[in-house]
Amino acid sequence: MSLSTRARHLRQGRASVLTGAVLAGFGIVTVGLIRLQVTFHDMYVDLSKENHVRLELIRAPRGSIYDRHGVLLADSAPSFSIAFRPFPAESAAVTRLTTAPGWVERVAKLIEADTTDVRRAVAQSNRTGQTSVLRRNAPFAVRAAIEETRGELPGLEVQVEPLRRYSHGALAAHLLGYAGEINEQELTERAAEGYRSGDLIGRSGIEKAYEDILRGQDGAEFVVVNAMGRRVSTLSEGPPRLPIPGHDLVLSLDLKVQSALEDAMANVDRGAAVAIDPRDGGVLGLVSRPNYDPNEFSVGLSTERWRELSEGGANPLINRAIQGVYPPGSTFKVVTMLAALHNDVARPDTRLAPCSGRYAFGGRVFGCWKHDGHGSLDFIGALINSCDVYFYQIGTRLGLPHLEEAAREFGFGARTGIDLPQEKKGLVPSPAWYDARWGAGRWRKGMMLNLAIGQGELLVTPLQLGLMIAEVAMGGRALRPHVVRSIQGVPDFAPARPPRERVGGRPEDWQAVQTALEGVVTSGTAKTAQVEGIRVAGKTGTAQNPHGRDHALFACYAPVDHPQIALAFVIENSGHGGTVAGPMASDVIARALLPDSVYALRRMRMPAVLRARPLKPDTVEVPYGD
Amino acid sequence: MATRPLRLPFRVPELDWPLAGAAFGLIVMGLLTVYSATSMPGVHEGLWVKQLMWAIVAIGAAWLAAALPYRVYDSLSYPLYGVSLLFLALVLVMGSSAFGAKRWLDLGPLKFQPSELAKIATVLVLARRLDNPKLDLRRMRDWLPPMLFTLVPFLLVAKEPDLGTSLSFPIILIAMYFWAGMPWPQLALGLSPVVNIGMFVLTGSVWWFAIVLAAMLAWFRPRLPALIALLLLNGALGYALPHLWNGMHDYQKRRIQTFLNPGDDPYGSGYQIIQSKIAIGSGGVTGKGYLKGTQKALAFLPMRHTDFIYSVVGEELGLIGAMVVVILYALLILRGYALAHSTRNGFASLMVVGLVTALFYHIMVNMLMTIGWAPVTGLPLPLMSYGGTALIVNGIQIGLIQNVALRRHEF
Repeated sequence: MSLSTRARHLRQGRASVLTGAVLAGFGIVTVGLIRLQVTFHDMYVDLSKENHVRLELIRAPRGSIYDRHGVLLADSAPSFSIAFRPFPAESAAVTRLTTAPGWVERVAKLIEADTTDVRRAVAQSNRTGQTSVLRRNAPFAVRAAIEETRGELPGLEVQVEPLRRYSHGALAAHLLGYAGEINEQELTERAAEGYRSGDLIGRSGIEKAYEDILRGQDGAEFVVVNAMGRRVSTLSEGPPRLPIPGHDLVLSLDLKVQSALEDAMANVDRGAAVAIDPRDGGVLGLVSRPNYDPNEFSVGLSTERWRELSEGGANPLINRAIQGVYPPGSTFKVVTMLAALHNDVARPDTRLAPCSGRYAFGGRVFGCWKHDGHGSLDFIGALINSCDVYFYQIGTRLGLPHLEEAAREFGFGARTGIDLPQEKKGLVPSPAWYDARWGAGRWRKGMMLNLAIGQGELLVTPLQLGLMIAEVAMGGRALRPHVVRSIQGVPDFAPARPPRERVGGRPEDWQAVQTALEGVVTSGTAKTAQVEGIRVAGKTGTAQNPHGRDHALFACYAPVDHPQIALAFVIENSGHGGTVAGPMASDVIARALLPDSVYALRRMRMPAVLRARPLKPDTVEVPYGD
Repeated sequence: MATRPLRLPFRVPELDWPLAGAAFGLIVMGLLTVYSATSMPGVHEGLWVKQLMWAIVAIGAAWLAAALPYRVYDSLSYPLYGVSLLFLALVLVMGSSAFGAKRWLDLGPLKFQPSELAKIATVLVLARRLDNPKLDLRRMRDWLPPMLFTLVPFLLVAKEPDLGTSLSFPIILIAMYFWAGMPWPQLALGLSPVVNIGMFVLTGSVWWFAIVLAAMLAWFRPRLPALIALLLLNGALGYALPHLWNGMHDYQKRRIQTFLNPGDDPYGSGYQIIQSKIAIGSGGVTGKGYLKGTQKALAFLPMRHTDFIYSVVGEELGLIGAMVVVILYALLILRGYALAHSTRNGFASLMVVGLVTALFYHIMVNMLMTIGWAPVTGLPLPLMSYGGTALIVNGIQIGLIQNVALRRHEF
């Protein structure tokens, strides 16, 4: 088909327009060429001869991190780094020099760094053409040595860079996380975000979760350098682009509570503890053992040290508070009790068959932790004494769907949504889960007995445990644990809201559970957690560990009438929750809630309890519950 | 303008010889420059051999593209378009990434950029739709479908993200609307929201566009309903854009800026452009001589044989060499538009305009980038830059244009 008549008429004029556009476009290019090659020819010749233009990066400091009262936890301080800047390909002589045998060894010795690391960094630089940092935080002696041998070691230079500094060392290491130098893989994956070689990148904890906010935007300026690599002048091509520092973060963390937790856990080999403000879900403190000093990562770890940290048996890099999963043991009886009350399976004063230390069900005998039996108890008394037989009976009446529902409402079996990376979900088995595992209908109701006392397949993180006890403290108000309270310069930031308003349960149900929990501390299994003048409520637990000694658990909150702190402890391989974690909780609560002077007095009076004690194996093994 | 076939004892095909000559000359200059840019020891050493192979393949592809009657392409335009969209979707799902953008599709030994093929397929579809004697581009049912056909590949390519290439789609659409006879008022006013957003991104203020809009309205005097619609639409955009932008946090803005222009970081654009300007500027009128462009800084340019090949021409061959390239490109483009003008078949004429405009856009964006007057977008210089897909696709483009030249007298 031919063009429409109208278009044909138009063609002549339109063809001229296109011709005009082409001539204009190439005319602009011509003007640009003449401007560069004729008008400013001399200037560019000068720049191209012995001088060359280099882009000097002005690194932006990473945002600082503060606790809720404004105490500094992490900031950036200026430090000196030794960097390697690769050469233009024509400088074959220089390139030969740096690839000659012995060069790397010599440099490594001079700057007191690992030979393997230096070789890798130099190779990467030569490949990408980007500067790489060989050693961070170099002391004066190393800097002086570099300056002295400058002529013999071209390519090496001293740079000023912000260094990440964690002012309290290993304190809250797992919560703060650490920032390390970006590696090659991350560099290729995140090139579009403007990362470049030598940048720090958040690798775990808050540093990772808030990487985009903490990270600033680097500035840059063009400088003219001479053949020796010395700076001659700045280039008029553009004014320097000033770096934009990252945003500062204010955490919900309370340094006082965190320190108390750290001290309490000082002699624990493996375990975790969290403190939550039950009023808003803010994390007041978080400890995981073993730990590490994040400052080590700021200056750059040697390959050897990294292997030691990441491959050692205990793996200190794991944040056990959110990544460790444990059977909740008797602490889970809180959930069972609430589910039973809420679903009218029992009332607080219901007395079931008395405990004789054993309970037969489905052709099997289930024991109570107290072999002599508890005798006749009501529901409150059963929780205070953690009577397994009473809870077996509750379990058979309650049924799995109700228990599962209650556990899920508390947030078990799902990520709590805390603003920390790599949180684990834990496990709450459902009928479908059992069907998938054992085949439909091929699992026995005996499971339910174990679940009712927190054994069986249940797995929870210490954070979930803390969240559960905080929600109990608030009479069922749902919470969402969070670490960052506010961001400087982002006024409308607010911590994420909980996924639901409330955890199911009537006011009287919560009341009964709270009464029972206070009873646990005043007259039950957790008397060690008492604090004079403060009403404490809590629940102990012992998690079976098929690989070794049982784990001790303890979840509590205080003061009972207007809760301000909720705590959860999991101490691996230590046996008994009440004996091990009770005193720790008592000390943390006293330090957090008592005036400092009163706390000091208490410390003088009762040094044995307050000084973190070495954990000795208990002489008596306690099979189930406490 | 039509060249008369020469009287020779053998039959000479009725190619557009100046256009073919210009294209061939540019490929040869490209090869020579790639040889020079990759002659230094290093990872790119000897890449010119591969480029020579690609050039032979590209000429073969051009010959094939020219051989089939263009009516075949006309009737195949929709299936081709469908296939190219499929490839674009595929690249988003499983493409391999370079510098944070997914642009390449890895097919065993072959690695190619589907956006290049999508460009050709879109030109074919648009030419087919706009070739209609009853076409009236003031009617929505005539102008809307071509716009939608352009929007889909545009969005898919922008998502990769490859803003530079994606913008060639609207440019092609505008040129083909123009050639199909869209009246000036519709052309100018219909595109006003696009211009609005574009000017806001470039200038950071809505008021520049307000002036432009006022001038356009005064000039074209649209009827009242159209006037109201235009004012409402642009007013709403003008109100929303700064609010949307200022409502964002620094880090969000930074993300958007990085998305729009992945090359926009100090080590990227600023550095490369400075080095490119020094290379060209130091070349002067006569240049430093072929193979003698040892501008130290140029060796830092990782893309001297691809995106920044024109800098090497400017340094080694000077203003004279750079102008030879400019003249060859101008000849190519002008002969292309002239062919579109003289071709009687509507589809063929529109197809040529679309293909030539795509080339013109790439040439302009790349050349202006090397002289520092456009941002770094990662678009290669057609026919000259090192790279297999681009060269073969350029060959197909030239072949399709020659296809029309061979049959320019047909209806």
